[in-house]
Amino acid sequence: MLDALLMSARFAEDPTPGLRPDPPLKGEGDVALTEDHGMTTITAISAPARAYKLVGAGRRQWIGLLYVAPAVALVVVFFIVPLCMTAWMSLHNWPLMGAHSFIGLDNYWAILRDTRFWNALKFTGYYTVVVTIAIFAVAFPLALFIERPRQLTGFYRTSFFMPAVIGFASASLLWSWLLNVDSGLFSPAAFELGLTEKKFNLLATFQPAFWSIIAMVVWKVAGFTMIILMTGLQSIPPDLQEAAMIDGAGPFARFRAITLPLMRRTLALALILSVAGSILAFDQFYIILRGGPRNQTLTAVYWIFNQSFVSFKLGYGAALSMVLLVILVALSLIQLRLLRNPEGVD
Amino acid sequence: MRTTITGLAIAASILGTLATVGPAAADTANIWVRADGSNFMPRVVDAFNKGHQNQIKLDIIPNAEIIPKYGAAAAGGTAPDALSLDLIYTPSFAAAGQLEDITDWAKSLPYFASLSPAHVKTGTYKGRIYGLPFSADSSVLIWNKKLFKQAGLDPEKGPTNWAEIEADAEKVNALGGDIKGFYFSGNCGGCNIFTFTPLIWASGGDILTEDGSKATLDTPQMRGAIDLYRSMVKKDLVPSGAQTDTGSNFFAAFATGNIGISPSGAFAIGALNTQYPDIDYGITFLPGKDGGWSSFAGGDNFVVTKGTTKVAVVKEFLDFAYSLEGQTILAKYGSLPVRGDIAKDALKDLDPRYQTAAEAMAKGRTPYSVVFNDLINSANGPWNQMMNEVFFGEDVDGAIANAQETMQSIIDSAPQK
Repeated sequence: MLDALLMSARFAEDPTPGLRPDPPLKGEGDVALTEDHGMTTITAISAPARAYKLVGAGRRQWIGLLYVAPAVALVVVFFIVPLCMTAWMSLHNWPLMGAHSFIGLDNYWAILRDTRFWNALKFTGYYTVVVTIAIFAVAFPLALFIERPRQLTGFYRTSFFMPAVIGFASASLLWSWLLNVDSGLFSPAAFELGLTEKKFNLLATFQPAFWSIIAMVVWKVAGFTMIILMTGLQSIPPDLQEAAMIDGAGPFARFRAITLPLMRRTLALALILSVAGSILAFDQFYIILRGGPRNQTLTAVYWIFNQSFVSFKLGYGAALSMVLLVILVALSLIQLRLLRNPEGVD
Repeated sequence: MRTTITGLAIAASILGTLATVGPAAADTANIWVRADGSNFMPRVVDAFNKGHQNQIKLDIIPNAEIIPKYGAAAAGGTAPDALSLDLIYTPSFAAAGQLEDITDWAKSLPYFASLSPAHVKTGTYKGRIYGLPFSADSSVLIWNKKLFKQAGLDPEKGPTNWAEIEADAEKVNALGGDIKGFYFSGNCGGCNIFTFTPLIWASGGDILTEDGSKATLDTPQMRGAIDLYRSMVKKDLVPSGAQTDTGSNFFAAFATGNIGISPSGAFAIGALNTQYPDIDYGITFLPGKDGGWSSFAGGDNFVVTKGTTKVAVVKEFLDFAYSLEGQTILAKYGSLPVRGDIAKDALKDLDPRYQTAAEAMAKGRTPYSVVFNDLINSANGPWNQMMNEVFFGEDVDGAIANAQETMQSIIDSAPQK
């Protein structure tokens, strides 16, 4: 894709090749023209004149498009078309069964009054902030720990990363057993060890249930973030650290003045992945908590799912999805902007 | 000459084709059933296919997916010809204009009057019939005879009113260890509509008006039943896992053999007999506060997709399912018979405890609502939230008031067609 773009850009800068009158035919590999046109035309001239004419800007562009066509087709079929259909559905009263009817922006007006959606969004925001901080608080030390080669580094890297390859649904099922009060691990273990007087149901009230989910997500995701951060750490030239050390900077000063600023792009990537993933959270709350206790852990996607497949209002679900999409795009743009060019670094 | 021979050959081959078309003209209809029916449905279909020219092709769909999947298939024009549908969805499917009106055919059946009344009621929308009973499950109370004996209770006598439920549960609970007096799934709307509302019905209350247009949660009967459960939770007669059980332990908890009493369903008879033959249990009705009893009539209605060309095959199949042979197969593999007039015959070789469940079924009730899923079954709906709060929370009044308001607003904003 990039190559094709560069190619067409180069031709756009120099409009002459296709328009220029044919050079007098003196034979193949004519070099006389180099005097007029400089280096850029040498390759062209070495080809026969007719071919030169055929491989004009238009044709080159078509070849470029041909190369990117598979990628474009994938994006169109699996992203653009569904997106347009979602937008189209969101303008309808579209039940799961039966006829649908066009209602304009009514679904969007209904969202404004849908307090349970805004509550779900509020909870999603809270969850995103907490879980992102928690993931970074765990992943950063881990990344620092495994970045330098030492004994057993491979073992540590693998074991920290392992949970990341489990699907969210499977991980949720696993933890839903671990957290079960009667037949699980944590509560019965704490009871048997005499830490609690009776088996404590971790999922019955909001705080323990919420923090159990946070623990599960950190366990599941921190390894992945750790790997991203590690590649960022490794891309920092060691001479810079050495120079700073010679200048007398302590470890904390080095971390703040060298490591952090030079990792800005990596951090941006890890942050955006983490935030986007958390805002779309669904599996763990659906499988482990069913949105409970007492509907206090309903996330935005969970609410969209409920509207679409429990209440069978597909049109309304589509409208909610569009709203969430806009929020997500806006948040990602803000993060990119904040982390792109601060204080003249770069 | 040559052309004549060719012509004859062609004619012969056409005749040959026609001859084979004859028997192959038998039609095949496609039917879906939710996974709950995976035990009996294939047996009924097999028996039908063996004895009939027309055939049924059966697909079994996971419980949670059958509704969205059917909706998607209907939109894409690939819906099955008929569907064995959880009966509570019949009103909303009919309201969506998705089902074939089968009123005339239904009323022409000689045994129409003895088909499960609760099924027929939910299968009727605006005076027309869109669904007929297929499989049935009633709610009952089961108790563990071994634990009753150990606790010094009469193992042959189950509780007949609320005070007895609590007293018996307390005695069993006193055995200590892992043994608990009572179990229910505290975070499962579907389980509690099935086993908790009968307590209210048996005492003369209800949660919805007859036509489903008003929620009537705040009644003395509701509060009484709540007090019974709250009191048992408070006395620690219920395992702590009940509070967060979304239904996965609905049956499994009793099957461990450590639970004295549990409200359950007729399905438990078959499941216990085949999977847990060691557990000695009794079956009785879900009682009212001072006696009397009631039951939820659950199960599936058989509905026909609007516009299908296979109506004749589907009717033939349903006819077979209603025959004594069909009803016997159903009963043998986990569903109660849905024809009252031959229920006794269909059950005569089976565990006598089925008779109690069948009796409960005959008087069973089903709330009628086009938004049943939203109100009751949804894990995040007002009914489930209220159940969880009133059994385990602090603010009973607030929980009831909140649920009453939410339910009424869902009913009022339901599509009126």
